[in-house]
Amino acid sequence: MSAFASRHPFWLARSAFAALFAASLSAALPVNAATPKPGGTLTVIAQPEPVILTAALSTSSPTGTFSTNVFDGLIEYDKDFNLKPGLAEKWNLSADGKTLTLNLRQGVKWHDGKPFTAGDVKWTLENVWKKYHPRNQALFANADKVDTPDDHTVIIHFTKPSLAVLSSLNSNGAQVLPRHLYEGTDILNNPYNNKPIGTGPFKFKEWNRGSHLVLERNPDYWDKGKPYLDRVVYRVIPDGGARTAALEKGEVQYASLSPLPARDAQRLSQLPNIRLQTKGYEWLSPWLFLSVNVERPYLKDARVRQALYHAIDREAYRKVVWFGYGKSAISPVVSTLKQFHDATVPQYAFDVKKAEALLDEAGAKRGANGERFRITIDYLPYGDEFRRSAEFLKQAFKRVGIEADVRNQDTPSYTRRIYGDRDYDITVQWYAGFADPQVGVTREYQSDSIGKNIPFSNGPGYRNAEVDKLVAQAQGSGDQAERVKLFKAFQQKVQTDLPSLPLLELQFFTVEASDLNDTVSGVDQVYGSFKNFWYTDPSKH
Amino acid sequence: MKRFVPALRGALQLVGVALGIATVNFFLLRLAPGDAVQVIAGESGSASPEYIAALRAQFGLDQPLWVQFYKYILKLAQFDLGYSFRQGTSVANLILARLPATLLLMGTAVALAALLGGLLGTLAAYRAGRWPDLLISCLALFCFAIPVFWIGLVFVVIFSVWLDWLPVGGMYSVSAGLSGWALAIDIGRHLILPAATLALFYMAIYTRLMRATLIEIRRKDFVRTAVSRGVRPGRLFRVHILRNATLPFVTMLGVQIGSLIGGAVVVETVFSWPGLGRLAFDALIQRDFNVLLGILLCSSVLVVLVNWIVDALYRLLDPRMRTA
Amino acid sequence: MNALPTPVSSDVAAAVSASATGYAGLPAHVTRGWLARLVRTPSGLIGSVLTLAILLMAVGARWVFPEDPLAMVAEPFLRPFADAALPLGSDMLGRDILAGIVHGARASLAIAASATLIAVVLGVGGGLLGGYFGGWLDRAITRVTVFFQTVPPFLFALAIVAIVQPSVATISLAIGLTSWPSLARLVRAESLRLRHSEMVHASVALGASDLRIIWRDVLPNAMTPVLVSTSLLVANAILTESALAFLGLGDANVASWGNMVGAGREVLRTDWYIATLPGIAILIAVLALNLLGDGLAAALDPHSAH
Repeated sequence: MSAFASRHPFWLARSAFAALFAASLSAALPVNAATPKPGGTLTVIAQPEPVILTAALSTSSPTGTFSTNVFDGLIEYDKDFNLKPGLAEKWNLSADGKTLTLNLRQGVKWHDGKPFTAGDVKWTLENVWKKYHPRNQALFANADKVDTPDDHTVIIHFTKPSLAVLSSLNSNGAQVLPRHLYEGTDILNNPYNNKPIGTGPFKFKEWNRGSHLVLERNPDYWDKGKPYLDRVVYRVIPDGGARTAALEKGEVQYASLSPLPARDAQRLSQLPNIRLQTKGYEWLSPWLFLSVNVERPYLKDARVRQALYHAIDREAYRKVVWFGYGKSAISPVVSTLKQFHDATVPQYAFDVKKAEALLDEAGAKRGANGERFRITIDYLPYGDEFRRSAEFLKQAFKRVGIEADVRNQDTPSYTRRIYGDRDYDITVQWYAGFADPQVGVTREYQSDSIGKNIPFSNGPGYRNAEVDKLVAQAQGSGDQAERVKLFKAFQQKVQTDLPSLPLLELQFFTVEASDLNDTVSGVDQVYGSFKNFWYTDPSKH
Repeated sequence: MKRFVPALRGALQLVGVALGIATVNFFLLRLAPGDAVQVIAGESGSASPEYIAALRAQFGLDQPLWVQFYKYILKLAQFDLGYSFRQGTSVANLILARLPATLLLMGTAVALAALLGGLLGTLAAYRAGRWPDLLISCLALFCFAIPVFWIGLVFVVIFSVWLDWLPVGGMYSVSAGLSGWALAIDIGRHLILPAATLALFYMAIYTRLMRATLIEIRRKDFVRTAVSRGVRPGRLFRVHILRNATLPFVTMLGVQIGSLIGGAVVVETVFSWPGLGRLAFDALIQRDFNVLLGILLCSSVLVVLVNWIVDALYRLLDPRMRTA
Repeated sequence: MNALPTPVSSDVAAAVSASATGYAGLPAHVTRGWLARLVRTPSGLIGSVLTLAILLMAVGARWVFPEDPLAMVAEPFLRPFADAALPLGSDMLGRDILAGIVHGARASLAIAASATLIAVVLGVGGGLLGGYFGGWLDRAITRVTVFFQTVPPFLFALAIVAIVQPSVATISLAIGLTSWPSLARLVRAESLRLRHSEMVHASVALGASDLRIIWRDVLPNAMTPVLVSTSLLVANAILTESALAFLGLGDANVASWGNMVGAGREVLRTDWYIATLPGIAILIAVLALNLLGDGLAAALDPHSAH
């Protein structure tokens, strides 16, 4: 039990409450054996407003949460990370990991009536995923040939084994665009980017910028009988307080990715008409961390970084800044990714004395005014939690004699500073790790993207040939067991060098109306469709 | 022919101002670190160099600054405000789409404030020193001093959530699909809270202004002369006092109309009102300079026009100015 | 949001007599006894007392609350009056709200004062030079003020702060840069009028240099509206700073009222006091400054000197 907790019994009570509260959430999942009733309009929050409406060209979350209702994925996830058929009924990765065969569903139509065929998949892979999609460029870099022996079979040939591909074939990872509307056009400027035609459960109806987006039920959807809802309206509400009020009044019935301040969410969850949901985010594997610029004078010493880690009370941080949501992180690979997570990595418990000793040892002695050295903390300008994180850290570091100035800026200034100019000391950040460390975790540690102004890559500037080798090996290996071993060795190494200090395994939540049922269909529900949603009484909506 | 010269000169002046502002703003905004592509890459959560390069080419940001500026001025000469790649539509379209919302909000707020403020200010001036004046002055002071966003949030909590009389935000009920008269009423219901929040602040200004003006004028010699001549209070007010009071009032009105575009950022944020202020703020954060430049340009043109009108009104209302 | 209610007319300084100047550069007949007049009016009295109190609070903050106001000293969300050590409770990070408000006076007043200083220097300087010298200088300065006028002031402040990143210095700069035009216009009108007054003509005939004329004849008589505007400018700066903090552009390293309100906005429904108490502080400060301004306007008004 942390020193903080023992001095403040209030914390014990709060954490007990938080645990109870978390337990009650899962119990609140409606066990509704009744048959789904069709009808009703669902109003959802779109925050922030998406820039583009297809995830084939953007990996931003607003686009992700919106586009999966218009586009299907090749496969879908269930609640246990198992793959289910989507647009692909069958899939097979060869033993050597170099050939992926997809058998596509028959009779699927695009929203404009044209048939969905293997040609669409082949075209999208070659012209969109490999050229424009940020994550898929790396994932499909080794895909050199795509065969379509018939209209419903796709065979992708990789030059090297690519086991990680299977983790990214859902609607968010691999969205297929209609070839007949995109081929030969300027893809980035294609008007269908903003009035998308997909194969999904809902058809695009209108986009009134700054105000709302409207989707309507697709009556010819291949999953017969679904969707149950008639319409989905996405409302743009920039202010957090206004979002809370809208949910409270029932004007909005669904909002994901922690749309409200946690405190408001806790309050709303006590209301009978609202339910708080924490499931459906597992596929994201998000973790929050401190990127330390290892090229700065004091920070280049690993002992100083370890001292910083020891100086932070991660449990107190989780409780105070995140209101108890999430779990303390010990590794960049989160614990819910059971296959890859290494729980035996070096631990850095909250120990102020140890931190001070390490700092003294590294030569950063306290000056006359008690100050060892000064640093700046930049934080991701995505919400108040990050600002409060920076403020929390400022106080934590002050205790061990490190004076920190918190720096505030908007997103473009931030990404430029961290990933371009590298003009920073420490920054608070979070990445999505996804279902395979190769997709989301290794980018923080690989040396090939340093200083090239590529957002959300290697912020610390960490260069370690051994780590690069481990990652390259894991990327090219066709043996999953070997990959697991390599990723575990990777975790051991980076948690010893500590260029990046994992603080928290993030837990997002969804605020839902309690009369909405079957709202979690899989571990990627955050980027999943609403096709299984239904109201207990559709006539009320 | 001679009569057209001032008008021509004025038009040239307007063009000059617009061009000057466009140029200065263009280069000033470039001082901001990062660009629109950086923002999109940042929001995407991940990006590759090829993706960023492709976006830059699409946005035209990979060309040297002078070339970009030249292209911009060229377009401006054809009354083309440019294209917003981020929003996927022309800047003119964006502005026109949001203009009605802004006009509605600001127009209602300013009209309400001017009316109420004028009345209350007059009342306070005529009862100067006594308790109606004290009450009104205190009220005006409070309304001026309260942070706008705070009172807006409080209104939402009281009227939208607790009392459930009015909607939380937005401009109209999207899911209801109303039209015609019903739509107008729906918009009206959504308009009440944001307009009231803004109006409170403006009303304070007008009240204090009117009160100070009237007190000052009533002290003047010509008023005392008129009173001693036996002019009746009604005529005194209408003919002598009011005309002199309108000048500062008109000036203030002019200033507020000039700040129509972009003046209500905070209120638009709290109430999710899709206006130009919020558009400008978002454009700034997103480094969508074409949009921001377009808005600033429209704003400057509006200010110049309003200044003209106010000057003309001055000459109309104050004979002394006509010879100036 | 930045519409500055300018004092009505230049008639406030109209009754100019070519007499020796009193202190503070103002005509003696105006300064004589202004303090007495100030505290005689209720608004002047309340305004000056409150403003003085707030200033004292700002100056004495370090003695009364020697600890860092940003330190997390208690459990979060402590209610006001629940704990004797923290009379106004604690915020979401466990910081003492009372300490925050007292120290916040320093930051908010410092920002407001610097911003006003910048605005006054630029405004008075620009207005004087333009109004007195006329010609190309006047036209150039007018062009600059017109430019500043055409940009919505709040948006402009937003843009500046967003570009150079928020800190106490940049926020003051931004607010100062956006509030000087109205002051410049006022001073220009005054100096224009005074330029053609008999007093100045007399000085010119006597062979006085331009600088001397500006310093002794024009500036003192143009100061009265400036003084009144100053308190309003400070009030306006406090409000603008809080609005900037609300939109996320405050300086996170100082405890300022705007920062506190912005931070408390998220929990307004459950822990209303976190945003409300500093909001009340803002309200009182702005009120006090406005009352002081009103009182000054009345006290320095030559009419009431008779």
